[in-house]
Amino acid sequence: MNIVVFIKQTFDTEAKIVLDGNGKIDANGVNLIINPYDEFAIEEGIRLKEKFGGEVTVVSMGGPRAQEAIRTALAMGIDKGILVNDPEVDNTDEYGRAQILAKAIAQVPYDVILVGRIAIDDGASQIAVRLAEALSIPSVSSVLKLEVAGTQATATREIDGGTETIEVSFPAVITAQKGLNEPRYPSVAGIMKAKKKPLQTLTLADLGLSAGDLSPKMIINEYSLPTPRQGGRKLAGDAAQAANELAKLLREEAKVL
Amino acid sequence: MATRQVYWNVEGHHWLYLFFIIALAIFVYGVYKRVKLWKLGQPDNRWKDVWPGIKDVIVYTFAHKRILKDAYPGLMHAGIFYGFLFLAFATAIITLQADFALNIFHGWLYLFIKVTANLFGLAALIGIVVAAYRRYIQRPDRLDNKPDDAITLVLLFTILLTGFVIQGARIAVVPDPWAGYAFVGQWMSIPLKAMLNEAQLLSLHVFLWWLHLALAMAFIAYFPYSKLFHVLLGPLNQFFRNRGPIGIPEPIDFEDESLETFGKSQLREFSWKALFNTDVCLRCGRCQDNCPAYLSGKHLNPKRIIQDMRVLMEETGAAVQAQNKVLAQAAGQEAAAASESEETEEWTGRALIGEVIPEDDLWACTTCRSCEQQCPVFVEHVDKTIDMRRNLVLMETRFPAEAQLAFKNMENNGNPWGIGWTTRADFITGLGVKTFEEDPTAEYLYWPGCSGAFDARNQKVSASLVKLLQAAGVHFAILGNEEKCCGDSARKLGNEYLFYSLATENIEVMNNYGVKKIITQCPHCYNFLKNEYPQLGGNFEVIHHTVFLLDLVKSGKLKLSNADKKTVTYHDSCYLGRYNQIYEQPRELLKAVGLDIKEMAHTGEKSFCCGAGGGRMWLEEHEGQRINEMRTDEAIAVKPDYVGTACPFCLTMFADGIAAREVGEELKALDVAEILEKAL
Amino acid sequence: MAKGIMIIVEQRNLQIRKVSLELLSQARKIADATGEPVVAVVLGQGIDELAATVAASGADKVILIDDAKLAEYTTGAYTSVLNKLIRKEEPQAVLIGNTAVGKDLAPRLAQRLGVGLASDCTGMEADSNSFLTFKRPIYAGKAFAHLTSNVRPIMATIRPNTFPVAAPDAARQAEVVKEAAEIDAADLVAILKEVAIAASKRPELTEANIIVSGGRGMKGPENYNILEDLADVVGAAVGASRAAVDSGWKEHKFQVGQTGKTVAPTLYIACGISGAIQHLAGMGSSKFIVAINKDPEANIFNVADYGIVGDLFEVVPLLTEEFKKLVNE
Repeated sequence: MNIVVFIKQTFDTEAKIVLDGNGKIDANGVNLIINPYDEFAIEEGIRLKEKFGGEVTVVSMGGPRAQEAIRTALAMGIDKGILVNDPEVDNTDEYGRAQILAKAIAQVPYDVILVGRIAIDDGASQIAVRLAEALSIPSVSSVLKLEVAGTQATATREIDGGTETIEVSFPAVITAQKGLNEPRYPSVAGIMKAKKKPLQTLTLADLGLSAGDLSPKMIINEYSLPTPRQGGRKLAGDAAQAANELAKLLREEAKVL
Repeated sequence: MATRQVYWNVEGHHWLYLFFIIALAIFVYGVYKRVKLWKLGQPDNRWKDVWPGIKDVIVYTFAHKRILKDAYPGLMHAGIFYGFLFLAFATAIITLQADFALNIFHGWLYLFIKVTANLFGLAALIGIVVAAYRRYIQRPDRLDNKPDDAITLVLLFTILLTGFVIQGARIAVVPDPWAGYAFVGQWMSIPLKAMLNEAQLLSLHVFLWWLHLALAMAFIAYFPYSKLFHVLLGPLNQFFRNRGPIGIPEPIDFEDESLETFGKSQLREFSWKALFNTDVCLRCGRCQDNCPAYLSGKHLNPKRIIQDMRVLMEETGAAVQAQNKVLAQAAGQEAAAASESEETEEWTGRALIGEVIPEDDLWACTTCRSCEQQCPVFVEHVDKTIDMRRNLVLMETRFPAEAQLAFKNMENNGNPWGIGWTTRADFITGLGVKTFEEDPTAEYLYWPGCSGAFDARNQKVSASLVKLLQAAGVHFAILGNEEKCCGDSARKLGNEYLFYSLATENIEVMNNYGVKKIITQCPHCYNFLKNEYPQLGGNFEVIHHTVFLLDLVKSGKLKLSNADKKTVTYHDSCYLGRYNQIYEQPRELLKAVGLDIKEMAHTGEKSFCCGAGGGRMWLEEHEGQRINEMRTDEAIAVKPDYVGTACPFCLTMFADGIAAREVGEELKALDVAEILEKAL
Repeated sequence: MAKGIMIIVEQRNLQIRKVSLELLSQARKIADATGEPVVAVVLGQGIDELAATVAASGADKVILIDDAKLAEYTTGAYTSVLNKLIRKEEPQAVLIGNTAVGKDLAPRLAQRLGVGLASDCTGMEADSNSFLTFKRPIYAGKAFAHLTSNVRPIMATIRPNTFPVAAPDAARQAEVVKEAAEIDAADLVAILKEVAIAASKRPELTEANIIVSGGRGMKGPENYNILEDLADVVGAAVGASRAAVDSGWKEHKFQVGQTGKTVAPTLYIACGISGAIQHLAGMGSSKFIVAINKDPEANIFNVADYGIVGDLFEVVPLLTEEFKKLVNE
């Protein structure tokens, strides 16, 4: 079975977000990690390979630092890596990135493409589904359980308030939700081996793409930071008053009810 | 002149040398078999310090230093040990006199031997009776019984008893003007004389003489096949023991690309010393009796681990021998063997991890090292646990799921909770402390550690300590956000790779600032920075805050009034006490502010771990009782106002224990620095 | 010339989902300000009766696509139908709730249409230049991106609870159009076998939007029912601190914290939890934290957005009543 896993390197979940002089998100001094949801995809890819044989390829887009993310995936047990490293990638949006990815993935045979259901940085949750559309193959989002038999997969996916079960033929895109598996921790033996595994770096030109093909559909006007949260507020009054006040604040101020 | 005839009533005693040679041959063969087993292990040069080794044998064998720490079995052992020591001395003198023509068995030496042999022989006899009573009547949990135990006791008992009866028979027949010196023999002679006539006494004497001799030869022959071997192996292990900083695992060179395995999963990967250890252990059970994991109802038992490894060593030895035989035969049959030898299966045997030692046992250890501290013969348990954990983490990646979160947090944010690394300095700088970057001339680096920097409860300790240091005019600064977890939990959980990266980064930062002296408030940081960082090129003078504060008090730089009249029980942190022998300084500090110290049931070297060491802080405790609650109960039992701690993990564990027991009104857990600050 | 704001109305078992009503209400406001009509699309089977509700909620035009193949949501069928409809209707904007359906459908549709998509928006405003601008949280809410598009239609998924639902106006009339469902065979490769709506209203801890959690202050397992009552009013999960799990009041699978589950709900209500660092490590990234504890010094108040110092056995039942009032509104 040929398995492709698309991963993204993201800021650490605890990273402090600040804007640089140009009003962009400042990546200086920020720890980078593999998007946690992509780890579920990596794990599932490795498990499929362990069960059915074949090869798992990890594909990523990003600058030179993204190599670290790929090496980590290789250390977990992925066989080889492809990194699309081109400064033009920064000037694209989800539409363009899906095209890039579709081209990159066309370089390797694939039966199943596994992706995290969301990236914790932009939280857009678009690329995987767009990729499936760009490749004209089906996709199943937010998968909690994946059973494979031959070229047929049965995926249980999360929907609001429950689950649904979908049957799909390969090739297909599967997006991984928390709960699909418990990602493994790379062994040091794996880390040592990963240093010797193939990692191919491609530019947009290598993929036969030019910036023109990829002009973004969305325009980001600006970034802003939330107004700092007011420090913990203790609600005054007796229990009944406090409960009433709390319900009101949760609805009107926090907007969570 | 006082003397007696040697070999009285015995003809042909020279035969004993023949018997002796036979016994010796059996003895040598037994030793050879064991040595072969030990040599299944890896080479390890333990001859590095001869004089300290000899000193240790004198202190721990001849002066019984550790053995006597447990008074009842200690005295029992002393009776047997010194008894046989003096009897052996007496026998040697007699041999020299009789067969080496050294005429010394007379006069004061004769009388001295007579009286000591009787006195100590009696002590040995009592010791053996007590040992049998303890082992078979009292049956303490820590003893398990094997046939060898009974055989050994009976053997020793009969050797002693026959010796005394022989003496009694002789005294009964030959009037001995110095019989009073041989008082046990004299007692024996009274009933013997009353019951038997001279001829009977003479035959009884000669019969028992040969029986005694036979038993003594049996003793020699049986020696290396039985627990008796410990008489030799115990002192040897004391000689070969690890010296210097305690409990430091071997470093792994991750730059060495030829390494293919990490940690140890097979018996033969351990050093010969580790295998030797398993023979040294004679199952006295002191380790088990002091193991917090065992006592709290976990499956882990340090004694059993060592004993199970011993069994595996024997199985491995037998298999290797069998395999060698097959290989030798194959070599003899030459061509035919070439095709067949591939079919002979490689012997794998039982897996050390999983089949011999359950994985859970490896994770249950808090690395408190009480087992090693109590072991009279210096068996080393903890380093083996770490070696096997390393294998599970670095090779197999099989470990409790909670550990993975702690590992990832340490990787990404340099602390086990995964709090953003950019906020590490916030609390301490908020106390008016500068970073080294701002104040590079600071004399001391203050190392609050992850707990002191991030944990709300331990931040209070940091605040107290900073106030005390400021009051004493100490010039100090912190690394701030450049500080990372010291790597203690990572290393003790077997993640040497993570430890290596954390430690090397910390060392680099500190070396860049030219840090010389460090004050830590966590014993784990203390131990690592002081004892383990030198392995990676970090050489600093590291001082724990309790030691530093005591110096400040003694030198008058820190002036404290008396605190309120309160009582406190001080809990010795394992990494401060057993790992670094800091027992007294924190207590002196508490006394310096006028507090009354009450000691818990387990204290000092026998202190009972809080349950958080060895990375257990980050693991769930599913089996048995919670260790911290047991320890809290010990504190509650002495009814103090405070539990004084000097470790953030211990403090957390006590706070949890106090909350669980709902005694927060009566008992407060405080760091020594917090108690001191009240007296500022 | 593109025209109108198209709302893809989501229904389940012929119940219109609340987020769709929110979108209709907000679209109505923008429509009134800009003069663009509100076009609502409803897909499903036997959905005629929904037209009136949709009209009353603010639609100028209601398009019903009624087909057995659309009875349950499937990516392929819905994409196929909507792609054709949007190409025909040429709306200025297409909006859908950021629900399980919206998250799956919108990107597929956007890619097929060759347009952009602003996903999971928490703000939307009319804009004189580009018609609509969107605000969406990034980095788990630690920053916001403000974005728009010049490509038509502008597509966005909007997070539930972003906009209030206006009172329905039963007098409103809308043009109701029925369209046939044209589904390409190529879009029917994935087959929906089974839909299982969880019998328990209580979601998994790690997936819950709201978590009500109890600690040592609960005093015993029998008292968890007051937390469960509160949780059930808002469809929350129930969690526990290590102290409560250690005491045997709750199973380990309910434990939140360093050695339990790591959660990040929108709202975390900590009852009788002191807030030890091990617990905070498991829930500190919750968006809003409420603490109810009788100890005013408890560390949990240092991280809580809202705190009530008081006896949880008194406060929690009162809060349950307050929540009931809100939900029933």
